[in-house]
Amino acid sequence: MSRLLPLGWLQLKHQPLRLIAATLGITFAVILICVQMEFREALFQSAVRYHSAMDHDLVMLSPKTSFLVSSKQFPRNRLYQVLGHADVESVTPVYMRLGSWRNPVNRASARNIFVLGFDPSNKGFARIIDEQQHALIKLSDHVIFDQRGRPEYGPVAELFDTRGPLAAEINDRAVTVSGLYTLGTSFGLDGGIITSDLNFIRAFPKRSKSAIDLGLIHLSPGADATEVQRQIIEHIPHDVYVYTSAEFREMEVRYWNKTTPIGYIFTFGAIMGLVVGFIIVYQILFADVQDHLKEYATLKAMGYSHGYLRGVVLQQSLVLAILGFLPGIGISYLIFDKASAVTGLPLALDQNAAVLIFVLTIGMCAASGILALRKLQAVDPAEVF
Amino acid sequence: MTDATPISLSDVSYFYGKGALKKQILFGVGTEVNAGEIIILTGPSGSGKTTLLTLIGALRSAQDGSVKVLGQELNNAKERALIKIRRKIGYIFQSHNLLDSLTISQNVQMAMRFNNNSGGNTSKQIEEVLERVGLGEHMNKYPSALSGGQKQRAGIARALVNKPSIVLADEPTASLDKQSGRDVVDLIQELAKEDGTAVVLVTHDNRILDVADRILHLEDGHMKSLTEAVSEDTSRMLNLLSKHDPSSASYLASFAFALARVAFADNEVTEDERNAMQRILRDVAHLDPAEVNFIMELSMMQRLAQSQMADRAGDGLGVDRTKHFVESLYEIARADGTVSPEEIEEIRAITAEFGIAHPE
Repeated sequence: MSRLLPLGWLQLKHQPLRLIAATLGITFAVILICVQMEFREALFQSAVRYHSAMDHDLVMLSPKTSFLVSSKQFPRNRLYQVLGHADVESVTPVYMRLGSWRNPVNRASARNIFVLGFDPSNKGFARIIDEQQHALIKLSDHVIFDQRGRPEYGPVAELFDTRGPLAAEINDRAVTVSGLYTLGTSFGLDGGIITSDLNFIRAFPKRSKSAIDLGLIHLSPGADATEVQRQIIEHIPHDVYVYTSAEFREMEVRYWNKTTPIGYIFTFGAIMGLVVGFIIVYQILFADVQDHLKEYATLKAMGYSHGYLRGVVLQQSLVLAILGFLPGIGISYLIFDKASAVTGLPLALDQNAAVLIFVLTIGMCAASGILALRKLQAVDPAEVF
Repeated sequence: MTDATPISLSDVSYFYGKGALKKQILFGVGTEVNAGEIIILTGPSGSGKTTLLTLIGALRSAQDGSVKVLGQELNNAKERALIKIRRKIGYIFQSHNLLDSLTISQNVQMAMRFNNNSGGNTSKQIEEVLERVGLGEHMNKYPSALSGGQKQRAGIARALVNKPSIVLADEPTASLDKQSGRDVVDLIQELAKEDGTAVVLVTHDNRILDVADRILHLEDGHMKSLTEAVSEDTSRMLNLLSKHDPSSASYLASFAFALARVAFADNEVTEDERNAMQRILRDVAHLDPAEVNFIMELSMMQRLAQSQMADRAGDGLGVDRTKHFVESLYEIARADGTVSPEEIEEIRAITAEFGIAHPE
């Protein structure tokens, strides 16, 4: 048995222009798929920024709350009730509302901002603001500002860094920005501030302290969250929901995915990318098989089997997949760098997504290769004479 | 059987199409090809030559008869068995059929994939075979950089690298000029003789018929001997001539016959005599040189036959033969109903000329 020549690759290499065209086509398709999938992913990631940042084992929510920014209130006592469970260590009532923020530089511009209030002596926000900031918001009308919010809120971070605490207005009430935190925007909210429960009530005088939007439940170490959740649900009235942290994030994702067209549009975009790539690869491979029909018939006459020729075409599709994938994923990274700087969305391809896209690319190329192979069935070695 | 007679066909019939459109291409074709023998398969387009070649090459299966190649019956054989046989045959194609994206040596290497007894050094074998066909310097070039003749030689190297016991060639000279075509068939002949390969070569090209050990002629799917084919061609040629310029042709025929009699008078025709005859005939006739040559050769053959006949008749043809000879002459005379006195006179003259006694 003689050394095998990589015929598929040699045939591709022999026509460099066609190879470049094919590679560019697949690169384009890969970018399209990457961008669509990543925007979709970013939407969901950003939507659960606060969910992931707040420390909790279980949460309590009003059944009317379908996503965080439009939360409905429920009685704070329901939350305190769960303290009766042996495994519940502590709870944190959280108040949330969209307030009106006045740009400290361009005072004519007012913009909705996500305001979040909690009792700084409770736990749950250690991952967002530090201990010193916990102490600062105990002062009346002191707030911590998200420096990753939209620029329309004004150059708050720059002013704070150069001059220290600065005066601002929420709902026409003067407040002091006494610190910054870093979380970022999402589809539902452009920016946020965190303050104490008391300051929250000051900013929203119509809100009562006894009606809260979210309850964070912390369990004692080693407790089984699902088991505790089940027991809690059994013992309290059904006018509130108790979610595990995964269910809490799922609720948000489900809202954006199902009840708005946004998730659907991006999924559709990714499928479009796949289809475009499929068509490009199919065209290239089909033309290639067509051009080489006589050569393939010659090989068959020489004793090569149909399986060998199938291998040649699949080898070509595999080579094209790899050649197109590498620049495609590279360019996508560059695009995400720029886009996440502009939009503040968490755009970064993780390894899993990259692997998934690679698998999709291979699948796309192999499928079009298999389709192009149908032309090969017609190759009759007797035709070469 | 396998070694001495790699190809053996008997009563092979082949049909294209099905049902009402079924068309028979080959009718009971049979022959054997021995090792080291070069067979040329000729015949007009559509006579079934290529079909026969693809049957031998295990690229099709015949519906009737038996095609045995290297001891394997190919009729009704499974695809796997066919593929196995294909790997043992060297193919030379009409238009080289090299793979454009491979270099010459890679093209040859493609053929070596199934060579189980290569015993190691592939690249050395490739080098050797390319040296043999005179392409040693062009090993690493792509086919597009070679001339037509060079490409065909590369195709031959590919066909021969495994030293197959059968080589099939389909019009290997069709796309080549006269000299390259000659070189290519000489090469095939030389290599085939060296390796003891059986060669079946399909061609239209009369210039290369001389390399054949045996010429098979196919016409409308029937196998014919070359003599049959030539005689049909000859009568067709004569018909054509008498339509073209009847008086000139018949004058020329008798003139040529007269010249031939003189030339054969000493029972030997030298090259000088031949040239002189050619010159004279060309001067008198307003026919093509080829037509003149044709008539001259016919006259000479007739004269030769006549003189040999006379010699042999003198030695005694035997009673049976003599009787048959004379009876046949009378049979022709009777064919129009009556035997005229002129006809009897002519028969007497002929028998006298051949030295045969005319029975009273």
